[in-house]
Amino acid sequence: MADTPPLAAGATARATRRRIRSRDLKAMPGFKAAGWACIFALYLPLVVLVIFSFNDNRSVVKWTEFSLRWYEAAIENDGIRNAAWMSVKVALVATFFSTIAATMAALATTRTAAFRGQGLAYGIINQPLMIPEIVTAISTLSLFSLVKQLTGVTGVGYLMAAHTAFCIPFAYMPIRARLEDMTLTLEQAGADLYATPWQTFRHITLPLLMPGILAGAMLAFVVSLDDVIITLMVAGPGETTLPIYILGALRRGITPEINAVSTILVGVSVLLVLVLFLVQGKMKK
Amino acid sequence: MKTTMKAISAATALALAGGAAHAEGELNIYNWGNYTNPEMIEKFEKEHDVTVNLDSYDSNETMLAKVQAGNTGYDVVVPGDYMIKVMIGEGLLAEVKPNEMENFENVDPKWVDVWWDEGRNYSIPYQWGTTAFTVDTAVYDGDINTLALMFDPPEELKGRINMLNDMNDVINAGLRYLGYGRCNGNEEEMREVLELLLEAKQHWRTMDYSTIEKLTSGDVDLSQNWNGAAMRARAQRPTLQYAYPKEGFTGWMDNVAVLADAPNMENAKLFINFMMDPENAAMTSNFARYANGITGSEEFMDEEMLSAPEIVMPEDAPAPDFVQPCPQEVVDLYNKVWTRLKQ
Repeated sequence: MADTPPLAAGATARATRRRIRSRDLKAMPGFKAAGWACIFALYLPLVVLVIFSFNDNRSVVKWTEFSLRWYEAAIENDGIRNAAWMSVKVALVATFFSTIAATMAALATTRTAAFRGQGLAYGIINQPLMIPEIVTAISTLSLFSLVKQLTGVTGVGYLMAAHTAFCIPFAYMPIRARLEDMTLTLEQAGADLYATPWQTFRHITLPLLMPGILAGAMLAFVVSLDDVIITLMVAGPGETTLPIYILGALRRGITPEINAVSTILVGVSVLLVLVLFLVQGKMKK
Repeated sequence: MKTTMKAISAATALALAGGAAHAEGELNIYNWGNYTNPEMIEKFEKEHDVTVNLDSYDSNETMLAKVQAGNTGYDVVVPGDYMIKVMIGEGLLAEVKPNEMENFENVDPKWVDVWWDEGRNYSIPYQWGTTAFTVDTAVYDGDINTLALMFDPPEELKGRINMLNDMNDVINAGLRYLGYGRCNGNEEEMREVLELLLEAKQHWRTMDYSTIEKLTSGDVDLSQNWNGAAMRARAQRPTLQYAYPKEGFTGWMDNVAVLADAPNMENAKLFINFMMDPENAAMTSNFARYANGITGSEEFMDEEMLSAPEIVMPEDAPAPDFVQPCPQEVVDLYNKVWTRLKQ
């Protein structure tokens, strides 16, 4: 900048400042209003839910006084407890396997030269996202019914398999995004230093990829916990998950026990996200 | 790392296989959500040394979809009246002949020869109720036993009405008000019904299933409602009263039945017999807050249920109208009316 004429330098500096100011989204008019509106729309129902879980009244819309009775009732209610535990069990297993599969898929389809059938590969990986969930649900139900008929094997494994399948694309996306940010130079450096592919993976790729894997795993966990339609169709006896339990109870009147259970779940999720956030923060260093 | 992986895989395999462990002494019940008394289940478990699994569905149609696919693993289901007829027709129910079981004498005679299961070869009564409406007598103090309150409301009720979001319930109420028959395929008459509904819709506030919440929060003062829900709403808002319209109202019954491919057929039959016992039927009524169809259960039911006007119909009320499912052309016509109404 020192060798440009003074007038031009001033003009350029002003232009740079103007450009920098206009790029700052947070300073744009209406940003605060839009931001707060979004936060309200997303979180106000949740806040109401949490508040009413402490309501003494049986109704979910009229407030009388503060009480913890619904938490006691929820914890004692066998149906809710079993459903919540089943949800968590299925979600954990589905997250574990789908994250592994998604990591493998991401490693194979990113940072490579274009190969034949790449589009098809994307399509197959992301199929649960593209097809309406009810279609996936009914077709999975028919398939499993056939398998049960032929083999006579029943059990919660079917539900876990179904969850794993539709969690894969959700785990795949963040991992792929993270992978695309990583250049191959570090892995090549490792190869130059006589590292085997497995060592390269373990010591270079995996640690760098870990934030993406964790993000993918979290997303898969939440999606599995949340699922209604596929679980409704595929779940067998004794495999009711929490959303199915709540859906079944809706017709006959919900009680604040649902609020209590939901608040506990929200609390656990928030805790999980916090822990992962802190861990990620540490790992970045 | 390797041993941890092995441990995890072994644990997962065990978890996956866990379902097939206990084959004897089990019963898998598939019922509406929040409709089975947990104490009654415990009683059955103790009496017959059986482990019961209870799962829930939210509608007859969801249950039918799963059962039609086959191999659900469920033994006992609780379909509504029309659904029993459908399932018998498709061969999905086992003919367990409750009419030959020892407790059958307890079934109220008027519930034996029903149009969906004559002579009761497949199912037994579980809970039955009526669908009419509830109104706050503090807001409107005239005669409430007429459908005119929903279709031609007085000033104080205009804009304070909730209807059920159910095609059959709304259209049948309209048909009754105009005096036309059910399962009406007559286009002229259905056009009149549509006009009536469209005209009345401007006075309706919402069309929603969550009637208890709407009434107790003060959102509406009149709601089309089931009698059990009306009783629960009245507990929170004492001036509410359940109406028995002179033009007629819907009756419905949920029934317990056994699936044809039930893995635990013997336990299922024991359960059917168990449910016909007056004490057990009363336990269900006390929990679900509806009437059962078993005589002798009155002595085990809660006091407030025996005196509730929602459960015990007044003498001068017309008999409930148990509507049969309609042929496809009529259903299509109803669908057209309903779609126009909801636009």
